[in-house]
Amino acid sequence: MPVAAEVYRPINVMDELSSGDIAYLSLARTRLAGETPPGDEFDPAGRIPAYPRPALVPLPHGREVAIDAMFALVVTHSCEIDRQRNLEVTAEHFDCRLTVAPIVSEPAVRLVAPGGEGRTVSWAAIEANGPVASLYLPPIDDVSTLAPDVDPLPWPRSFADLRGLTTVSRGMVLADRLCSLTPEYLVTLQRQLARFFTWRDLARHELVEALVGRRVVGAIPLNARGDRLRVALTADDGSSVTVEVRAR
Amino acid sequence: MTRLASILEARNITYTAVAQHARLQPRTVRQLATGETPIDNVAVGTVRRIASALSVPLADLLEPDLPFPGDGSLSRGARLSAAIREVMWSATPVPYPSPVERDEPDEIASLDGEDFFTDMPVIDARRG
Repeated sequence: MPVAAEVYRPINVMDELSSGDIAYLSLARTRLAGETPPGDEFDPAGRIPAYPRPALVPLPHGREVAIDAMFALVVTHSCEIDRQRNLEVTAEHFDCRLTVAPIVSEPAVRLVAPGGEGRTVSWAAIEANGPVASLYLPPIDDVSTLAPDVDPLPWPRSFADLRGLTTVSRGMVLADRLCSLTPEYLVTLQRQLARFFTWRDLARHELVEALVGRRVVGAIPLNARGDRLRVALTADDGSSVTVEVRAR
Repeated sequence: MTRLASILEARNITYTAVAQHARLQPRTVRQLATGETPIDNVAVGTVRRIASALSVPLADLLEPDLPFPGDGSLSRGARLSAAIREVMWSATPVPYPSPVERDEPDEIASLDGEDFFTDMPVIDARRG
């Protein structure tokens, strides 16, 4: 389980933007007016827990923008952030967007398992970065050790929720950055992003059985480890599973 | 926990008792106390009646204002300090879909970055 000293590093307000920066931001969600995703089971007002009072901006045709003020983690890769500068694109023509993941703290939520609220959800799995959709962020005893102009406050254990990725401007991130991730923990962030976007899991037994009778039209080797090889199989109906084979 | 919920808990008063004194529906008091309905979203008269029933100043029931990102009237340190207090230590936990999908250990998650990215192009995570 990672601890704060391994995960966070201080930043200077003059430092360049970087993947792993943590900032206080306004995040916008477009939705149908009054829509309550992911459903009444979770929150009848459709709120993001870290900020219970979103500002609502009405749009035409029964749509609206809900704006949440919350902490978020920059996941855009540092190379991408720098790319336009390296290409000598003038600053006014920079793409101003950065992708960020909202940060959900333990005190703000009661985690509901897929089976319903009655099931206990263990933070141990989140701490171990087991889920593909989260990056664990450990507690900090005193954030002023990272940001001296901030009051000596504790930071609760939390996670960056990759299901809530959205874009914000570079300027907004620059204005209210708190700290950043260490280079070592950025590797873990990148691993989680790779898992989230491309590599969910090894197929379960019943999914492999469902392949019977279908024609395999694609086999992409993914990763070799020892004498084992993981392969993504695509069937003729477009479904896909990842299996592991042992080399003979 | 909302300020209203804190007062009710400290005095060991039920929603129904407050509702009777304030001539409101118990559900209204419950929704305000749990934060399901933000107290800023209801009529001033409703808040005034609850304050009167509890014999507290109306202002005692209002939640503190959350500083907005980039609020120029506050220093960066003051904005971030208030945001940590109000956002990260939110007083009203709400149900949230867990990212944990199953309980079994996931061997992929236990791989360190070097193992995971074996055979993949090198990714430079250590930009200075």
